[in-house]
Amino acid sequence: MSQYKIIFTGPVGAGKTTAISSISDTPPVKTDATASDMTKSRKASTTVAMDYGVMNLPGGEKVHLYGTPGQERFDFMWDILTAGGIGLILLLDNSRADPFQDMRFFLEAFGRFIKDTAVAIGVTQMDVSHQPTINDYHKQLQALGLKPPVFAVDAREHNDVSLLVQALLYSLDPGLVGE
Amino acid sequence: MKKSGPVAIKVALYGMDTRSYKTLELFLKGPCRAIAEVVSDTDAEIDIIDADFATAGDILENCRQQHPERPIVLLSLQTLRIANTHFVQKPVTVEQLTAVLTQTGTKKQLPEARAEVIDKPLTEPNQSAQPSVQSVNTAPLPKPVDKKRSAFEANEGGYTTFLGHLSDIDFSDPSQLLNASFEPKNYLLSYVLSAYKVAGHQGTAQQLNSMWKPLLIFPQIRKIWLDADDKQLRVFAGMEQNKLFAGNISLSPVSTDMSQLERAADKFQEMEAFIWKLSIWTSKGRFPVHIDPNAPVFLKHWPNFTRLMLIPDALRMAALLANGPRTPLDMVKLLHIRPQYVFAFVSACHSLGLLGQCQRQADIIVQPEPPKPNKKQNLFSKILHKLRGD
Repeated sequence: MSQYKIIFTGPVGAGKTTAISSISDTPPVKTDATASDMTKSRKASTTVAMDYGVMNLPGGEKVHLYGTPGQERFDFMWDILTAGGIGLILLLDNSRADPFQDMRFFLEAFGRFIKDTAVAIGVTQMDVSHQPTINDYHKQLQALGLKPPVFAVDAREHNDVSLLVQALLYSLDPGLVGE
Repeated sequence: MKKSGPVAIKVALYGMDTRSYKTLELFLKGPCRAIAEVVSDTDAEIDIIDADFATAGDILENCRQQHPERPIVLLSLQTLRIANTHFVQKPVTVEQLTAVLTQTGTKKQLPEARAEVIDKPLTEPNQSAQPSVQSVNTAPLPKPVDKKRSAFEANEGGYTTFLGHLSDIDFSDPSQLLNASFEPKNYLLSYVLSAYKVAGHQGTAQQLNSMWKPLLIFPQIRKIWLDADDKQLRVFAGMEQNKLFAGNISLSPVSTDMSQLERAADKFQEMEAFIWKLSIWTSKGRFPVHIDPNAPVFLKHWPNFTRLMLIPDALRMAALLANGPRTPLDMVKLLHIRPQYVFAFVSACHSLGLLGQCQRQADIIVQPEPPKPNKKQNLFSKILHKLRGD
């Protein structure tokens, strides 16, 4: 049976675990642990290995949803996770000190994977911090020569996460039509 | 002693809230000199329907079925031409209403006309409530042969009511092409865009006044304030302003603090989302006259779709235009979608400043290759299907 995967990445607290929960058919397997380092100030617990969810498709196919650990010291896992992936969902926390730096970091870290596939960016916590705006993100991306979809996202909302994944799929194939 | 004089015509009123109902009842009694009397549905000789009411199409259909012999008068802000109905333009005047009621009250509908009413029910009841677009008419397109559902049908809500239906236009014929265009300057949209520019430039809140409701623009927080629901806005968006209202439109600065204190919080809307939907409702599936549908356009960046009203196939169109320049008519062919979806999308992107028009001769001369289908297209389709909860 064919197995596929979509990768969710982003900094600590950006909502990767919640986003996976929003579209997963099964409760996601969480690997959170009590934060004991610099992440403590942002989250009481954080993902130290990876999150996992699944979408069951007709015909028995499955799409695995993997959330990368937010902490950079686990970046050795990222290459393993992305192998054979459909595309990347990058979630950014707008309330962090420098979300642009976060964005650049993850786009660079997953650069090869994005080049082979596509990326869609969701910006969370925009209700907490209105700045920077979505347009500001586009300006930054333009300087990097990229034009991915960037949406304001509430990771708890199925519709927001669904649209983001749909945009990723259409970026890969604009001619795509739902069955 | 019994008062002699003409007998009042018995009318029933539909599609009105209590206030409008009472107002029209008093209007008929007073200014119209009791030419008509409001009675119950069963006793009426004429049905009067507010065609701008949300479910006016259903009401019209129901009236026709219940009383096919009974004349129907439609009231609307915009000119309507619906078979076997009589029309009175809002704001209603004594002369107009009296003339129509006298005319309809004294003659019965012809048998042929009745037959036509029965033979031609409205296929999409809600659409009859929408103001008709002068140049882009009501003949529905044949149903697409492709059984696959568009993103709109599957996931983007039932919005055909405001997109209109382009009849079979030959887009290679410039004279026909013009029938699918609109002049933004003639609509509320252009006044809102201008007001937003002024507000942004001056850095102060502005109030856009018209014969309709005041619209307040707050550039600092990128919000507008309007005491109207989407149904009302949709009707007003499609009305040509220069005919009735242009002379009454003005812009005045307002105190931000005072305005915010006095205004109901739930009437605020995000400016971007407001302009987006206003553009779509103004476009009604037509393209802005200054955009050539045969010239390539591109997207500067994706719209923020999670916070905008989605229109049919919007994500597909964005993906295609983000990839490279395409003419709007190429988009229709490449994505196999209806022209009005493309034109509404192009209109909305243009209003938000997201649309670029190619200046380089190379972009105009060299047509880009059609996007190649992804090898995993079948899988992606299944994922889409799943995400939309079909």
